[in-house]
Amino acid sequence: MSDHATTHGHHSGLQYQPALPLPNGKLFLWLFLSTEIMFFAGLIGAYIVLRFGAPQWPRTHDVHLVEIWGALNTAVLICSSITVVLALEAAKQDNAAAAKGWVLLTFVLGSVFLGVKGYEYGAKFSHQIYPALPRSAIYESADVHYASAVRLRLAELKAPLVTLPQKTPDDERRIAVIDEIAAKVDAAEKAFREHPDSPAGRRMMLQLADEIYPRASVHEHAPAVGEHQEEPAARPAAAAVRPQVTLVAAESPAGDAHLAGYNDRYPWLELPIMIPGGNLWASTYFLVTGFHAIHVLVGLIAFAFLLRMRLGVARAGVIENVGLYWHFVDLVWIFLFPLLYLFD
Amino acid sequence: MAIALVVLTSFSYATQLPIWSALVGEDSVAVKRVWMMGVSCTKAMLVILFFMHLKWEANWKWVVTIPASMMSLLLVLALVPDIGRRMNYASHERLTYAAEPEPKAAGESEAADDGAEHPTGH
Repeated sequence: MSDHATTHGHHSGLQYQPALPLPNGKLFLWLFLSTEIMFFAGLIGAYIVLRFGAPQWPRTHDVHLVEIWGALNTAVLICSSITVVLALEAAKQDNAAAAKGWVLLTFVLGSVFLGVKGYEYGAKFSHQIYPALPRSAIYESADVHYASAVRLRLAELKAPLVTLPQKTPDDERRIAVIDEIAAKVDAAEKAFREHPDSPAGRRMMLQLADEIYPRASVHEHAPAVGEHQEEPAARPAAAAVRPQVTLVAAESPAGDAHLAGYNDRYPWLELPIMIPGGNLWASTYFLVTGFHAIHVLVGLIAFAFLLRMRLGVARAGVIENVGLYWHFVDLVWIFLFPLLYLFD
Repeated sequence: MAIALVVLTSFSYATQLPIWSALVGEDSVAVKRVWMMGVSCTKAMLVILFFMHLKWEANWKWVVTIPASMMSLLLVLALVPDIGRRMNYASHERLTYAAEPEPKAAGESEAADDGAEHPTGH
């Protein structure tokens, strides 16, 4: 019909109109965002039902999460959203230089977010907190399996040391530390074996687990700053039976102000650790934040492409579309921050 | 707008500070969580309305956002019985009445099983 009308120069026929009154690029972007909404709803929903259905879930400080870093990253993303808005306004006024400056600032802020996230990941990895199949170094309870894993790690460490023809004082010190811990495992396993109905073995193993990896939530008082050091004289964490709500930062932004366990005082030990609910926490935390970080990375790549263009009024639509994506990334973090860091 | 978002973030963070315990109480976990989700939803609405310009867009915005939101809600609700309910039972029922693995038949090797369960063991 339209062809007929065009051929004969008549305009009385049908006219094609876009289905929705917006540019194709923006329509595509919004459709993409609608799939992204469902993607993150699935991830966050899975996190929520897993978390609130789990028999045990670690407290924030037990897994070296620091609220202030999460709050800082939230502020950084909000600021980056503002700079995108300012870039769009500058482009609409054909002020290409200003638009490029704002996009550059957005890129820097996004990089800061990823830098902080990388630092946070590093804090987890250095404490052997990461997801792995069938399990990482995290054990859920201080039982015979945990005792066995600790014993195996100690044997693995000791074997090369005892065969050395000449031992340095450092080697001797290491052997002494290994023997000290092995004696505690022996005592716990003996109690497990000889008195299976008594809680003595379990209690001893719980105490050892706490000495290896002290959890902030089971300790009552805030440790002094600087307690986390490699000196053997540092106060070993004492097992506390009653869980306590504390405001002790397991990983303070100022440095390392948390209780020092064997793994902290002797980083070469890398003994298995006991965090009830730790494996599920690690799986969900790294999955959700990892997918969010990938989205941030994709946003940074888009901004890097924008920086190569002249960001005048002709590019306002592109900036708007990339900006919409970036605001969505900000939006997801707005929900992730309280769910991951503050729901203690 | 920006200041409002940063102030709202500090409202969420404030739940971790002693002032929250002083004002609301130490045992107010549910209040704290509802408060934080309320703050998050407010922030999300501000970002959607003003940064993403949905306040000024035409009615097409409903075509895109409402179906996606409904699907998201269904997605989350669909997960609840699969994971949430099952785990709820785990904390009460399973610990007492859970099925245990079949006892090993005489002569059957346990080495493979142990190895799979405790990878540090080899």
